[in-house]
Amino acid sequence: MRARQAHQESEDHGIDLAPMLDFVLNLLIFFIITTSFIKEAGVTVVRPDATTAEHRESGNILIAIRENGDIWMDRNRVDIRQVSTLIERLHIERPDDTAVIVADTNSNAEVLAQVMDAVRSGGITDVSIAANQPGG
Amino acid sequence: MRMRRHNASNHEEGSHGIDLAPMLDFVLNLLIFFIITAIFVKEFGLEVNRPTGFNEPNQGESKNIQIQILETGEVFIDNRIVDVRAVRANVERTKALNPEAGALILAEDGAKTGVIMAVVDQIRLGGVFNITFSTGG
Repeated sequence: MRARQAHQESEDHGIDLAPMLDFVLNLLIFFIITTSFIKEAGVTVVRPDATTAEHRESGNILIAIRENGDIWMDRNRVDIRQVSTLIERLHIERPDDTAVIVADTNSNAEVLAQVMDAVRSGGITDVSIAANQPGG
Repeated sequence: MRMRRHNASNHEEGSHGIDLAPMLDFVLNLLIFFIITAIFVKEFGLEVNRPTGFNEPNQGESKNIQIQILETGEVFIDNRIVDVRAVRANVERTKALNPEAGALILAEDGAKTGVIMAVVDQIRLGGVFNITFSTGG
């Protein structure tokens, strides 16, 4: 009698982990899905300000242009001639991706135009230039 | 003896089902890893077109707004030098005359992105969103 009572008590001990496990697994899946979509440029640049800047929902390929004309993609410094090939590969992997060019305020228009053309020739036509929204 | 048998059956009941604790530990670790590495990009940007290969009909040329940006950062509209902040007024005037007008930015190779983006911003403030960006000497 005493043994059975002890057994019953030990069964009631502890929280039911199943709902928590479900929740945690859902969170995990969410983070796995969202994390791999973004290709960071890997450098910080001074962005130009623009009051009419819009939130780019699906801008996942970031291409940075530094003040000295260096181009950074996916945490690597790349040559201007590589950009179109890299974009082409990313475009085949995920055709919905759009590109955002993060150009430094003091970078040259020539490099910006070359990068825009390279992205377009790589197959991504939805290109925008990143800007800061003052106060936003 | 009866006591021993009871104990054995008790032990069997306890080992029913899989122990979820190690799996839960593992999953939680994975979760923390993905939360830490997740990058939430909030990208703000302006959309700008590039000139396409084919020639547009010539008649549209005069109606569109042409803005030239020099290496020095000076902005020209219709061969007049214009302050960056005055671009908006010029764009609004042209838009009032021709509501379908687009804007064409001709920047010199050495012009700075900051100036170009300021001009693009002004054009958008003026109500024209069809902006084409071109470079050349």
